[in-house]
Amino acid sequence: MKPNISLAGVWLRKIACLLALFILGTTLPLAAAEKIRLGEIDPLSGHLAKPGQEIHQGILYAVEEANARGGVAGRPVELISRDDQSKPEVAVNQAQDLIFRQKVTGLVGGYVDSLVGPISQQAARNRVPYVASASLQQSIAGNKNPYFFRVSRLEGVVEPLCRFLTQTLKTRRVAILHAATPGSSEFSDSVQAHLRQAGSEVVLEDKFRPGSPDFSVFLLKLPPARVEALISGGFYADNLILVRQLRERPLGLKAFIAPWGVAYQSFIDEVGPASEGLFGACAWDPGITRPGTEKASQAFVAGFRKKFRKEPNTTTMHGYTSARALLAAIEQVLQGAGQLTGEAVSRALAHLDLQLPMERLAFDAHGDPRYYQQVIVQIQKQRLVVVYPPERARGRVDFSLAAR
Amino acid sequence: MWVGTPVIFTGLSLGSFYALIALGFSLILGIARAFNLAHGEMILLSGYLAFVLWHYFQVPFVFILLICSLVLVWVTIPLNYLLRRLPEPYGLNTLIVTLGLALLLQNLFLAWFSADYRLMTPAWPMVNVPWLNFSFPLHQGVLIVLALLVTGAVHLLLQGTFLGKALRATIQDREAAQMAGINVQRLSLAAFGLGGLLIGLAGPLFAQNMYLYPAAGVEATMIAIVVTIFAGLGRIRNILLGGWLLGLTQSATIFALGSRWRELVSAVLLLLLLYFRPQGFSLKKEG
Amino acid sequence: MGKINSSQLAAAAGVLLLAVWPLIFRNQVQFHQVLGMTCLYAILALAWNIYALSGAISLGHTAFFGLGAYASALLNHHYHWSPLCTMPLGALAAVVFAVFWSLGFRRLRGVYLGLASLAAVEIPKTIVDNWDQLTYGSMGIVGLDRLPTLTIGGVEMDFGLNVTAQYYLLLGIMLLALLLHWKCIRSRWGWTLRVIRENETAAAALGIDSNRERAKALMLSSYLAGIAGALYAHIMGLVEPALVFNLHLSVLPLVFSIFGGSTMVFGPVLGALILYPLEQLFLMPLFPMGHSALYGLVIILTIFFFPKGIAAWLPAPPKSV
Repeated sequence: MKPNISLAGVWLRKIACLLALFILGTTLPLAAAEKIRLGEIDPLSGHLAKPGQEIHQGILYAVEEANARGGVAGRPVELISRDDQSKPEVAVNQAQDLIFRQKVTGLVGGYVDSLVGPISQQAARNRVPYVASASLQQSIAGNKNPYFFRVSRLEGVVEPLCRFLTQTLKTRRVAILHAATPGSSEFSDSVQAHLRQAGSEVVLEDKFRPGSPDFSVFLLKLPPARVEALISGGFYADNLILVRQLRERPLGLKAFIAPWGVAYQSFIDEVGPASEGLFGACAWDPGITRPGTEKASQAFVAGFRKKFRKEPNTTTMHGYTSARALLAAIEQVLQGAGQLTGEAVSRALAHLDLQLPMERLAFDAHGDPRYYQQVIVQIQKQRLVVVYPPERARGRVDFSLAAR
Repeated sequence: MWVGTPVIFTGLSLGSFYALIALGFSLILGIARAFNLAHGEMILLSGYLAFVLWHYFQVPFVFILLICSLVLVWVTIPLNYLLRRLPEPYGLNTLIVTLGLALLLQNLFLAWFSADYRLMTPAWPMVNVPWLNFSFPLHQGVLIVLALLVTGAVHLLLQGTFLGKALRATIQDREAAQMAGINVQRLSLAAFGLGGLLIGLAGPLFAQNMYLYPAAGVEATMIAIVVTIFAGLGRIRNILLGGWLLGLTQSATIFALGSRWRELVSAVLLLLLLYFRPQGFSLKKEG
Repeated sequence: MGKINSSQLAAAAGVLLLAVWPLIFRNQVQFHQVLGMTCLYAILALAWNIYALSGAISLGHTAFFGLGAYASALLNHHYHWSPLCTMPLGALAAVVFAVFWSLGFRRLRGVYLGLASLAAVEIPKTIVDNWDQLTYGSMGIVGLDRLPTLTIGGVEMDFGLNVTAQYYLLLGIMLLALLLHWKCIRSRWGWTLRVIRENETAAAALGIDSNRERAKALMLSSYLAGIAGALYAHIMGLVEPALVFNLHLSVLPLVFSIFGGSTMVFGPVLGALILYPLEQLFLMPLFPMGHSALYGLVIILTIFFFPKGIAAWLPAPPKSV
C-alpha cells in the first residue's frame, strides 16, 4: 500500500503546487500592480462644505465601484482627497502638493469657479488632466486649456430654462432675482441675453446678498410691472423664503422657476404643500435619468444608499460623472498599452464618449460637455415630474398649480 | 391697496426686530461700558438653540422664547466676570476680546451646525385689515407688538423701580454713581443678566425672520451698534424709534433702488451718526 | 553702531533661516506655498500695525486690501499692463479711500474709530459689487496676469507659477515692509506716533498735530495693505468681491500684530509666522471645521495674559525709543 499512498501523495503535492502557482499567478500581478493615484480637491470645510462633501462622496463611490470590478485595466485606484477649505489659496496649495509630491495621474472635483480656476491653471502648467465636477462660468473654459474638462456648464441650465419659458409657458414679461455670487450673476446675465433674443422682456432684475431674509419689498414691484414669471437665481434657503412670501401675498404670477435648490426631495419635504406647482431644473435625480440608463442609475442609487446610508442627489452625481470620465480615459490609455502620462490621458478625455445617467459625456474643444442639458421639472403631488423638453417629459405642465 | 402700506409695514416690523436686537447691546454698553462685538453671535447661539428645540423636539414657540431667554443669561453672566478683569483701555480691550469671542463662536457654529442655512418655518396665518385692503403675515405683527411690550417693560423697569433708578444713574455717570454709594459691580451683573434675557429673546425671532448661518452674527452686531448710537445711551424709547428708522430706511431703499443696496443702508447710517456725533453716545465727552 | 546685541543676532538668524530652509526642504512645495502666503499676510499685518502705532485700532483694513486688489486687477484687465506696473499703481486706490477715511473719521477715537472702520468696508465693497460696467460686479474678474518671470543675475525665476520663486519674492517684499516698519518705530516720526498713542493731550502740548500724523500713518498703512491685496490678486489670477472684501482679512492682521507684539519691530511678522502655518498645517487636518477658532482663542488669551504680545518675552534691545 505504501507505493499507492506515496504516489497519491506525489500527485497531491503536484496539484497543491499547481493550485498555489495558479493562485499566486492571479493575485500577485494585482498586488504588484502599481496603483493609479487620483487627486481630489473639494471644499470639505468652510461655507461650501455641504456641496463639497456631496461631490466627494460621488467621486469616492465611482472609485470604489471601479476597484470592486478589479480596478482599471487590472490596476487598483487610489483616491487622495484634499480639502481646499472653500479658499482659492488652499486649493492651489493642495493642487501643488498632489501634483508634485503625490504625483497623481489626474485631478478631479471642485465646486465653484473661484476654486476650480486656480486648480485648472496648475493642471495646465504641469500637464495633469483635471476634470471639474461643478463649474459654470464661461470664462473658465475660455482660454484653451487642453488639460481642463468639466462635466457641467451654464448653457446646459440656461438654454432649457429659456426655451421652456418662451415655448411652453409662453411668457413675455419676466423678472429675475439673483444672488450676489459669480455663478448666480452670470446665470442672470445669460438668461437675460437668451430671453431677449427670443423676444421676451426682462422687466425687473434685482440682486441680493446671500443671507438677506426678506424679499417682500422686491415682490411688491412685480404686479405693477405685469410680470408673468419670476426666475430665482437663489439657492435653497433663499427659495424657501421666496416661496413662503409668495404664499403670504399672491402676486398673480404664471410661474415661479428656480434652477437651484428646488428640484430636491428635501425642498419638497421642507416646504410641504406650498411647493406644488413650482418649477425647477434638474440634471439628474433618483427618479429622473436619461432614457436608456435606467439600470445604471438604479444600480448607482442602490449602491450609494448602501454605502453612505443616504440618498444621492444631483450634486453627488456630478462628482460621480467627473470621476467616471477620468477613470474611463485612464482605462483607455492603459488598454491601448500606452504610457500613463498626462498628455495621453488628456487626449483620451478629449475623445471620450460615455453613456452615463446624467448625460452623454463627450467634451468639445474647450473641455465643455457637449451634451449637458438639464430638464425642467414641476412639483406635482409632492413629486418631481419632468415637463420639458418634450422628448423627456413624463407629465404635462399643470398651469393652475403653477400660478402664484 | 396703496403700495406704500406693505413697504411701511415691513419696515416697521423689521425695525421692531432691530430694536429688540439692540436692546441687550445698549444695556450692557450703557451700564458696564463693555462693547460686545460678539453680540450677534450670542443671538445666533440662542437662535441655533431655538432651531434645535423646534426641529428636533417640536417645542411650541412660546416655550422656545422662554427657554432661550433663560439659557442666554447663563452665557452673558460669565462674560461679565470675564470682561471685568480687563486692563485699561477698557472699551477698546472689550472690543478686541469680544471680537475674538465672536470668531470663536462663529467657528463653533461651523463645526456644530455646518455652513448650511437654517430656517425655522412654523406656519403663521395671514391677518386681514379690510379697511386698508391689506393683509400681513401674523409673525410680522407679533414682532411689532413684542417690541412695544418689551421696550415698554424695560422702560418701566428703568423709570419705575429702584433698581432702574440706580441703572440710569450708572449710565449717566459711572463715577458719580459710585460715589453716591451704588454698587456698580453688582449693577453690571444685573445689566449682563438683563442683556442675556433680551439676547435670548431675540434669538428665536432671528431664527424665524432671518436665516441662521455662522457668519450672520456680524450683521446683527452692526445693527445693534447703529441703533444704540442713534438712540443714545439709556434712552430706551429712542431705541424703538431708531430701530424703526433703520427698518423703514432699508425698506424704502430696497423699494426705490433695489435689494443690492440693502447692506449699505446700515453702514452709511452708522457712518453719518459717527460723523455728527463722534463721541458716540456718551452724554459727556470721553477721553 | 557698536556691538551687536542679542536681539539683532536673533533677527539676522531668523532672516537667514527664512531664506535658506526651502533649499533644504526642496520637495515640500506645500510648505513653500503656505509660507509664501504667510509672508503675504505678514505684509498685511505690518501695514495694519503702522496705523496701530498711532493708537488707532482698525477693523476695516480689508477695504484697503480689496481696493488694491481690484484696482490692480482692473488696470491689468483693461490695459494689459504688467503686474509689476499695476500693483504699485493699484495700491494707490487704497490710499484714495484712506484720504476719505481721514477726513471723515477725523474726530473719532478708540472704539468709535474701530466701529467706523468696520462699517466703512461696506462702501467700497457694495460699490465694487454693484458697478457692473466697471468691475463686472459679483462675477469678479478672472484671467489676470500672473506675476511675471524675471531673469535675475542669470537665473530665471518664474514668480507666477513656480511656488518656490514666489515664496522668495514674497519674502523679499516682506523684508522691505519690515524695514519700513522698523523705520516707523525707530525714528523721530515713530516717537511722534508713540506720543500720540500714549497721550494725545500731551502730544498737542508738544505741538504735534495728531490728526495730521495719524493721517500720514494711515496713508502708508493703506498703501502697503493695497500692495498686499494686489499681490494676492495676481497670485490667484482672479478677484471677487467676497474674496477680497472679507472680515477675515481685517481680523488676521489684528491678531498677528497683537499676538506678536504691536510695539515691537518684529511683532506682526512673528505673529504671522507662528499662527498661520500652525493653523494651516497642524490644525486644519485635525479640525476641518472651525479651525479658524484658533485666532479667536489666541486674541482672547493674548489680551488677558500678555497684552504686549509674545515679542515682549524676547530680550529687549538696549536702546529703546
